[in-house]
Order: sequence, then structure tokens, then C-alpha cells
Amino acid sequence: MPAYSKFTQQELPACKPLLTPEIVIAAFALIGALFVPIGLASLHASRQVVELVHRYDASCVPVDDKVGFIQNSRTDKTCTVTMTVPKYMKSPIHVYYLIDGFYQNHRRYVRSRSDKQLRYKSAAHLTSDCVPEGDTADHAPIVPCGLVAWSLFNDTYTVRVNGVVTQVNKKDIAWKSDKNNKFGKNIYPSNFQKGRLIGGATLNESIPLSEQEDLIVWMRTAALPTFRKLYGRIEKDINANDNVTVVIQNNYNTYSFGGSKALVLSTASWIGGKNNFIGIAYLTIGGLCLSLAMGFLVLYMVKRRYVS
Amino acid sequence: PGPFRPSRRDQPDPSASERELHEGGEYRAVAVGEPSPEFAGNAVRTAKYSALTFLPRNLFEQFRRLSYVYFLAITVLNQLPQVAVFGRGASVLPLAFVLFVTAVKDAYEDIRRHRSDRRENNRLAAVLAPQTAGEYLPKKWKHIRVGDVVRVASNETLPADMVLLATSDPTGLAHVQTVNLDGETNLKTRYAKQETQLSFSHDGHVAGMLHCERPNRNIYGFQANLEIDGKRVSLGPSNIVLRGCELKNTTWAIGVVVYAGKETKVMLNNSGPPSKRSRLETQLNRETVILSIMLIGMCITASVLAGIWLLNHQRELEFTQFFREKDYTTGKNYNYYGIGMQIFVTFLMAVIVYQVIIPISLYISMELVRLGQAYFMGADNDLYDESSRSRFQCRALNINEDLGQIKYVFSDKTGTLTENKMEFMCASIHGVDYSSGKPACGSSVVVDDLLWTPKMAVRTDPQLLKLLNNDSSNEEAKLVLEFFLALAACNTIVPLVLDTRDPKQKLIDYQGESPDEQALAYAAASYGIVLVERTSGYVVIDVLGDRQRFDILGLHEFDSDRKRMSVIVGCPDKTVKLYVKGADSSMFGIINKSLELDNVRATEAHLHKYSSLGLRTLVVGMRELSQPEFEEWQLAYEKASTAVLGRGNLLRSIAANVECNIHILGASGIEDKLQDGVPEAIESLRQAGMKVWILTGDKQETAISIGYSCKLLTNDMTQIVINNNSKESCKRSLEEALARTKEHRVASSIGSPYPVLASESSGTVLALIVDGNSLVYILETELQEELFKVATECSVVLCCRVAPLQKAGIVALIKNRTDDMTLAIGDGANDVSMIQMADVGVGINGQEGGQAVMASDFSMGQFRFLVPLLLVHGHWNYQRMGYMILYNFYKNATFVLVLFWYVLYTSFTLTTAITEWSSLLYTVLYTSLPTIVVGILDKDLSKSTLLAYPKLYGSGQRNEKYNLNLFVLNMLEALWQSLVVFYIPYFAYRQSTIGMSSLGDLWALASVIVVNMQLAMDIIRWNWIIHVFVWGTIAATVICLFVIDSIWVLPGYGAIYHIMGQGLFWLLLLIIVVTAMVPHFAIKAFSEHFVPSDIQIGREIEKFEALNQVLSVDSYYQ
Repeated sequence: MPAYSKFTQQELPACKPLLTPEIVIAAFALIGALFVPIGLASLHASRQVVELVHRYDASCVPVDDKVGFIQNSRTDKTCTVTMTVPKYMKSPIHVYYLIDGFYQNHRRYVRSRSDKQLRYKSAAHLTSDCVPEGDTADHAPIVPCGLVAWSLFNDTYTVRVNGVVTQVNKKDIAWKSDKNNKFGKNIYPSNFQKGRLIGGATLNESIPLSEQEDLIVWMRTAALPTFRKLYGRIEKDINANDNVTVVIQNNYNTYSFGGSKALVLSTASWIGGKNNFIGIAYLTIGGLCLSLAMGFLVLYMVKRRYVS
Repeated sequence: PGPFRPSRRDQPDPSASERELHEGGEYRAVAVGEPSPEFAGNAVRTAKYSALTFLPRNLFEQFRRLSYVYFLAITVLNQLPQVAVFGRGASVLPLAFVLFVTAVKDAYEDIRRHRSDRRENNRLAAVLAPQTAGEYLPKKWKHIRVGDVVRVASNETLPADMVLLATSDPTGLAHVQTVNLDGETNLKTRYAKQETQLSFSHDGHVAGMLHCERPNRNIYGFQANLEIDGKRVSLGPSNIVLRGCELKNTTWAIGVVVYAGKETKVMLNNSGPPSKRSRLETQLNRETVILSIMLIGMCITASVLAGIWLLNHQRELEFTQFFREKDYTTGKNYNYYGIGMQIFVTFLMAVIVYQVIIPISLYISMELVRLGQAYFMGADNDLYDESSRSRFQCRALNINEDLGQIKYVFSDKTGTLTENKMEFMCASIHGVDYSSGKPACGSSVVVDDLLWTPKMAVRTDPQLLKLLNNDSSNEEAKLVLEFFLALAACNTIVPLVLDTRDPKQKLIDYQGESPDEQALAYAAASYGIVLVERTSGYVVIDVLGDRQRFDILGLHEFDSDRKRMSVIVGCPDKTVKLYVKGADSSMFGIINKSLELDNVRATEAHLHKYSSLGLRTLVVGMRELSQPEFEEWQLAYEKASTAVLGRGNLLRSIAANVECNIHILGASGIEDKLQDGVPEAIESLRQAGMKVWILTGDKQETAISIGYSCKLLTNDMTQIVINNNSKESCKRSLEEALARTKEHRVASSIGSPYPVLASESSGTVLALIVDGNSLVYILETELQEELFKVATECSVVLCCRVAPLQKAGIVALIKNRTDDMTLAIGDGANDVSMIQMADVGVGINGQEGGQAVMASDFSMGQFRFLVPLLLVHGHWNYQRMGYMILYNFYKNATFVLVLFWYVLYTSFTLTTAITEWSSLLYTVLYTSLPTIVVGILDKDLSKSTLLAYPKLYGSGQRNEKYNLNLFVLNMLEALWQSLVVFYIPYFAYRQSTIGMSSLGDLWALASVIVVNMQLAMDIIRWNWIIHVFVWGTIAATVICLFVIDSIWVLPGYGAIYHIMGQGLFWLLLLIIVVTAMVPHFAIKAFSEHFVPSDIQIGREIEKFEALNQVLSVDSYYQ
């Protein structure tokens, strides 16, 4: 007889959990007991956040031919919006631009970039993924190439609180890892935005890519067609009922694809921005589990099956 | 097997092989001693590949699987620039991985084959150097050619198929062991022809021309003739020794090579077991079709929506930043071909992205799981046979799970239910029954002052012993002596003399191909008639202390038509006698009944008695041949023996001529003992809901008595016997039987509302006994249908006197008419066709050769192992495999649906937020290993529970673990979980700054955790290996995500570090996993408690009985 071993005879010590009524009820009750407080805490955190959203794409274009207006480089695109702050906003106050209907995740768009080119000088010619925004007409490589960089957002905001110009800090709005490793410190923009069709912002050719934080933020493509991106931070508290006036240079063309633009001022909390969904979800699931626990309790009492 | 086994089993119709010879028109002409290069050399090659051909051939072999072609097509599709979804490298990876793993496995196996080939080819043999007189030089096996004369010493292996020319035995006798060929361990006798033997002993060499049939795979047939000194000598199967056999008990033997290398019979027979597909795998195809339809549906949806989107935005495309239709450097559209083409391209891309829904990796997982299961079945000590030291073997690797769904078991009797160790029990001699056997010490013979003792002693009847020893003048005693002489002489037994520790003692071991003959020879020896020596020309028999030589003038071998054998013996007193033994049916036809009616009647009565005791019976007869009769026979016999064509038929007709007017000597009863645990095993199988049918070559009475002794038949059963000799009467009795089963059903269903269960619930059970003669008229005619109806109504079916092909016919009867799984178990060559016909074939490593094992899917040592094999391993295998398949469908569907929902938010352009590497690793790494490990190791119930409650086996028979409902349920769960995984983060991150890569990482991680949690929830037994793999896989996924996001060239660089730093990420992960699992958990909790399956109750019993025992022990100590 071959030697006995627990492994070969499939007799390894094992734990065999069974879903007994006690375990089922306890599990549901436990989840409920855990989720309801989390939900309440998240809701509370979300309520602490003060968020001002102002859509300006329609109001900032006085004419009917919106596309023509925006494409004309000679029109004055300055536009002023005024908001009243309902509640005290503690710094830092994040300034976002919110775009709707812009598919940054479109297949044509999302691959139209050259990550090697962004980091290495010697890789400037690697523009094959970037067509039609890879090379200029005389075959010089565009740096940074591709639709993503080309379509860089170029509205600008000047913020006044109660008439006083307030600094919007545009430093450190991009991820550190991107600035340090992904975008080269010795790569300077060249041949950028020189084509027939202007996609968006131009870049200062004397600043290296690693310092072009707006570009870095923009190139972190958004997951969903409605997204916001960080524009900058106001490092000053704003009191309730203060008047916030923003002078917008309305340059960016969202009109050709029927998108919309908005300006967002928001404080932050531990769950990020204003977000009631997560709290409601926790409360719903917690409540569902509690009622399931009750339901099973009743079921087990009504129709008892004695386990062996 | 029949009363005796034919010495040349499985021989095809001899006339067929002769016809083959004819039609081929050519013989192979071999000049003895002259190696001829025109035939295949002796080098063998079992390896499939060489270093050069490995790559193309292996790839070709692999791509014969349809799933790989599908895989390849997807990969090729992805290489088209317009459709490329994944990067080139990434898309090739999974296919390359799979091909690589398989290729490594194949290469490893092939290297082992190469090594064994090399070892085999470089072995040395002593070969006669040409142009020398009798000088044998060592030569490598691979250099041996047809025509070479080879000298083989004792215990050496034969390098090729050779015709024996001479041996160390003066009469030209040689013994070989054919264990490598057919698994039989007993020695077989082969002869060199007297002519060559003489020629060799005179001149030291043999010259001649040999004509033999062309190479074929019949191990038991050979026809040739040899022209030597102008004479033509015929050669038969007893003159050839085959490659792979070992020479035994013969100092040397010399032979001429006739077939070499790949043309040898062993190589021609070297084909693997037939490939079968398991039931689950066949059912899986249906689900694959459903999934394909889902796949196509998703692809059409995505591409049509993409078309609609393009149509709505057609005019905006030029200035839309994220589309940018035109390339201004060329002025043409860039990568845009109009809406129709765009829809088509999107469709193709969708196929690439969603193809994972058809889990290709499942096929590889299934193979690995089966390999693991086979390992554990082989390692199981409960399937280890102590006596033959053999383990359980999985010969076919792809039907493990079928073992859990068997409904019908077809069993051979001899050697399967019984041990096939025959023991002589009683004899009826001249109408007197001697059956009061007493254990005896056996008798010994004195030869050259040494004591020779037969190896086994049988129980002897004192009265018979007294009769033999005392009054030898008595007429009755003479008949008794004749009877035992017939037993000792009329056989093909070879006595081997073995040394014992005591130098004065020797042991006689009777070696032969038929255990019945061995039993009879030992019986004769125990009564003092000891067979001492056998050569091709004579036998020496010690008759009650007096050594006598009997010349064997002729021998008519057993064949299945005559069902008897005979020898013509020249006795010491110069008379010539014919001894015949055979089955009673064949013997009573040739008996001279007119002379001794009383004797015949009494013998018949005794035969009936013996067979109802379950004994195997043989009738022995003799006749004295007159001189003219003998001469006439001799002339015909010699002519026939040297004929090359139609020799078999000629010999048969001569035998039939001479075997007549037989004077009956008596009959013998031999016990064939039941194997250990057979009745209990059959009982367990029947409780498990299987129908056990016994198919035997034995007589009806013997079959019935075996049926009783193994508890298959009981006294409260109603027996229906069908035993007829014509089609009409068969039809009549079948109709009667059908009427009776209906009656029976009506009678028993009065108390029971379920007619199907009637035969089990009511007291009386029907048993059907069918005879082989009737089956001739029933099988393959329109009566089959009725037999099927009757047989399925009966819970026990016994078929007796069935031929091998009829066995297969009966299996086919059930297999073709029902969906139930059939299993055939047997040990002999006559079971091969049945084993191959059944869904699952099991071979017993028994006394009979290895042919059944060679043809089988599984082989083991004992019949009773069938119970743990089916009830435990079969149940586990089915359970595990069924779950694994469903789980694989579910997990891939979940992932694909998560990808699909995202497409709705990318303007239908099939972007995936999850990185391409993660999408590819999902099936290969993130979710594959735990399911394989669970498929190998998880057990729903312990072995002892499964054996204690055979009814639990029903879960497999009812397809409880794999069916369409479960599939649909799994798909609904996949739908729910994918919605949860996708939409909770979607709503939480709507209108936020979330990037594609970050959200993709969350979706990937959440899907992996959810599907692994689903698996974790369904695992029944958590041992440390399962813990390691389940949690380890989740950890490996996290590590992979970190690694992928640490590659700066990918757009997702740093994403996971960033998102994991947020509290929201962890909150989302928690709620996703919980929300996804709640329905599964609730359904599981509900169904396990309120609609428990048998297995669930078994699990509870297992857990709480153990607990109760602990409690009771505790209370005992308090």
C-alpha cells in the first residue's frame, strides 16, 4: 500500500462554512449596521461642500452663428459672469471648468498622442499615432503631437471677489508623478498649433512640457463625456453673500459639437467634491441588508427546518 | 469468457485474413540469413517530432482545435490597422501564451519519447554475421533488418518479430512472456519446426526461403511457409515470437526476423485509446452557441449605435476636436470611410473586444483540471489493488466528469465480478457424482531422487481417491483413470519445474493460457495423475507413481465455433486415443447417445446441478481410434498442416470429422470465485440509482446462480426469461414479457402515484434474463425496440452466452435510445468492443490479458473499486467540472458586460477604460488559477458521506450541477454584477475630474474581486491551498495593476497610486463588492435552507454529526 498522505487522499484539514440561519441573519445585520453610519457620514461630508456651478457657453456668445463667432480670431470673446456665494467657503477653493459632450474617451482621440515624445527629446519624430496632428505640412514633427494636446482647453478666468482681483493659483494642479516622470523637463513645444485648424490653446515655446500644467491636466483624458478639470485654486476664504465676478475669455469651441461649458467653484472634503450619491447608495444598501436580515428572521421563524 | 478461453483470442475470421492474403496477392519473401534492405528497418520511432519539424507540426496539431482557430482569427483581425483594438504585442500575448504552454508540454512528452526510442534502438542483440558460419556479433537493434538471424538468450527481450528456427530445447520448444504485448503474465509456448531445428543442430545454420503474409496487427495470427531443403514447411502463430516479448525458461533461441521496426505487431497495435468527449463538453457547446449569439448581439448593438451617432453628428465631425475628420496636410478624410464602412469596422472591433465572453481559456482550464483529478484518482489508496499492486489509471483524460453521471453499468462476469482463479470442485464420472471434496496435501512425484510437487493442491474426494488407488482392475476405476488422463493430456498446459529452498524438492508450476485448463491439470495431479513434461511431440505423465510417455500425434485447438478441443494420443500400450473436452452444448452433439443413455442422462443431471451451484462445467469424452481410422486422419492432418491457404478451415473440418461417436467419460465442475466485495458493490451501485446489467458468456444456469451469489437477483424478484431459437418465438416471448411488465406496473402503481418509481417502491422487482441465441434474432432487427422497452422496465438484466459483438450491441441498444450514460466494465479481450462502445469503458487488470485495459478509458484492479470511483470521484469530478464551466462563463460575461456598458459613454467607439494589458490578463491571470485549483481540490461532501448515502450520486444523473437553468441564473448574476461594478463608480464619479485610467483600474479591480468573491462564496471546503490561490490571485491582480501603472509610457502612468489615495475609492470598492454579492448570498441562503438539495442535507449531516459527536464526547467527559 502506498504511503498515506493527507494531500494525495484529499483529506487536508479544511474549514467548511455553512450558511446557517444565524450566520445569514448576522451577516445581513452586520452589513446594515456598518453601511448606515458610513452612508450618513458620507452624506454629511457631501453637505459640507459648497459648490457653485455656472454655465456660460450660451450666455457668452451674443450671436446666432456661434461656431463662426468662436472661430473668428478677431471677435472680442470677453464675458463676465457674476455669482453670489450662498455659504462660507473655506480655502482652498478649487476652480474647475466643466465640459459636457466632449468625448475625451473617443477611440480616435484617446490614442492620438505620443507618450515617448513627451519624455525624450530623441523621440520627437515618433508621431505615427498622432495623425492628422502629427507632422506639419513640411514634415516637421509637432511637439506635443496628437489630437489630445491639440485640443487643449483655452478659456481663461479672472476672478474678483467683491470687486477685488483674487489670485487663482495655477501651480501644482497636475499630478506630481506626471510632472516628474511623464513630461520631460527638456522638451519644449515646437510647431504646435500651427495648422490650418486651431484646436485650442497655444503653448509658450520657452517653457518645458513638465511645467505646462494645463497641458498635463488636459492630457489626463477624462473617463466620461461630462467631466471637469482643475483650472486652479483660490487660496483665500470667501464669505457668505460675497459677490464673485469672473471675467472669462471664452475661446474654446464647444459649439461645433453641441457641447456645453461651465465654471465650477468648489470646496473639498474627504470624499472629494459634492457627491450625494455615495451616501445615498450606502444608506440604500444598508437599509436593504437590514430588511433582508429581518425578512430572513421572519422566514426562519415561520418555516423552521431543523438542521439534521 | 466462455468455458474455456480460446487460445487465440480475438482472432478475426480466419477466412478473412486469408482473403486478405489473396487479395494482397503478394507474400513477403525473406531469405533466411540474408538481411534485405527492401523492408522497413528495425529502428522504431514513437516520437512525433524532430527538432526541425517540431514547430510546424506542433502548431498544425494545435490549430486542429477549433477554439484555437477562433483565437487566431481574432488575433489576425486585430492586426489590421483599421480595426486594431489592442496593441500588436498585447493582442498576440494570450494566444502565444496558450500555444507556448501546450508546446512545452508536447515537447516534454516528445523528448521523453525520443529518449525511450533512443534507448530502445541502441539496445544490442546477437546477430548472425553474414558469410560466416555461426558467428554472432552484437548489433544495435536499429540496424537489424528483415532476414537477419538473431540469437536471444533467456530473459532477453526480442528485438523484432521472428520466426523461431531453433532453440536450446532439443524438440524446439521455447517459452515467452508477452506481458509487454498484451499484459498477460503467464508463459506461452512457441515451437521451432522440427525441420529447422534438425537442420540447425546438424550444420549450425539454416538456409531457406520464407514466405509470410504482409505485416498486420493481429497478434494471434500468423501464416507463412518455409522452403527448406526443397521441402515446404508450414508455419503458424505458434512459430513466431513477437517484438517486446521476453524469452523465459529457454537457454537460447534462434530466429529469423520477418517483421522489423514499425511493421512489428506490437508497433502496429500501438494506438492510443479511442478519443471520447464528455457529456459536459457536449452540453457546453449549446451554451457556447448562446454566448456567441450574445456576442453577436452586443457587437451589432455597438456598431448600430455607433452608426446612429455618426449620422446625428455627421455635419459636426470636421470641427469636433475629439473627432477631427480631416487631415489638412492632405486635405482628405483621415481614417474615416463613411458611415456604412464605419459600422462594419466597429462591428469587427467589437468582436475583438468582446470575444472573451466565449471563454477560450476554459478549454485549457478543463484540461488542467482533468489532469489534476486524474492525479488524485490515481493516488487514491482506496483504488489501489494490493494483490496486483496496481493503481487506478486514467487512460482517457477527457471524460473524468462522465463518471459522475452513469445510469447503466454493463459488467462482464468472469474476471470482473469473479476472480478468474479457477478451482476444481467436483467431478461426475460415468454418471457418478463425486463432490464431497476434502482438503488434501496433494501428491508428489519422485524424479531422479527428487520430489516434484505440483504448486497447488485441490480438494479431493476420498471415495474417488480410494477407487483410483485400490482396485485398478475394476472397470469403473479404469474409466476414472481415463477421465483424469484426459484432463492431464488434453490441454496446452506446460509444466515448469521450479527450484525450492529444499534442494531435494521441486515445484511443478502449470503454465497455460486458460485458467480452466490449469485447474483441471492441478486436479488430475492431486488425484495422482501428474503431468510432468511436455514437448511438442509427447507428454510425460506420472500415472499413480508410474511414469509413462504419451505421444501427442495431433492437437485440434479450441475454437469458438466448435467450443471444444481434442488431442490424439499414442498411448504406451500402442493404442491411439482421441480425448475431447468442451462445453456441454457442443459435446452432447457428438456423443454416441445410443450406447449409454443412462450415463448421459446422469451426467446431464449433474451438469445441471453444478451449473446451478455457479460452477463452470466441462464435459470430457474419448474414443479409441482404429488403425485405418488413424491413418486416414493422419494423412489429412499432415496435408492440412502444411497447407498455406485455408489451413484453418481444413483443420477445422478434419477435427469435426474425427470428433464423433464420443464415449462420454464425465464432467467437471470448476468454481470461479467472486471477487471481494462484489455483492456490496452491486448493492451500492443499485442504491445510487444505477442499473447493473451482467453480460456473460456463461450458461443461463451459471449466470443466474452468479446473479444470486452477487445479490443481483433475489428470491422476491419475478424473473422473465427469454430463451428462444427462432425469430417468431422471440417475438412472442417479448410481447408476453411486455404484457407482464405492464401488468406489473399497473399492479404496483395502485398504491403509488409515481409510475416511474413503481418498480422501486413496490415489493416485487422484475428481472430479465436473455440468452445469446435469442439475441441473435433480436439485436439489429425490429425486435430491438421491444427488448429495450422490456429491459428498461426491469431493474435487473442478465444476458448469458453472449458473443463479444453482442455485448457491444446491447450497450448500443441503451446508448442509442436514451440520454443516459453507460459504463462498461470488463477484463478480457471479449469485452473490448463493449468497452469501446460504452460512454465510459473500464478495464480490470486481471488474469486475462491487457487487451481490455488497452481499450479502456480507466483501468483498475477490482470490480468493487467501481463504487468509490463512481460515487466518490465521479461525483466530485462532475460537481467540480460543472461548477467550473458555469463559473468561467459567468466571470467572463461579467467582465465583458462591464466593458460593454462603458461603450455607451464613449460615443460607441469601443474604447476600454481598463488597460488592454488588464483586459488580456483578466482571463490568463486575474481569475484563472483559483477556478482551476477549486476544480481540482474542492469537495462538496466527504468520501465517507458519499459512500454512506449512495443516493447522493443522483445529483449527477439528474444533471443538477450543469443545466440551462443554472446557466441562465449565472448569466443574470453576471448582468447584475456588471451593472453594479460599472454604474456605482459611474454615478459616484459623474462630472468629476476622474481620468480614464483611474476609473479603469477601479473597474478592473472591482470585477476581479467580485468574481473571486463569488467563487469564494461557492467554495465548500477551504483548505490552505485554496486560501493561497483565492487571496493570492486578488493580491496578484493588485500587484499587476501597480506594475502596469508604473510604466511611464502608458497613458495610465501613476493612476492607481492616485486613486487609491482617495477615500472615495475604498468606499466604492466596499459597496460594489457588497452590492454585487447580496443577491447571490440571499439566493444561496434561501435555497439552502428552504429548498435544500440532497447534497446540502448531506453537508449539514456531515457538519453537525461531527459536532454532535464532539458534544457527546464532551458530555461524556463531564
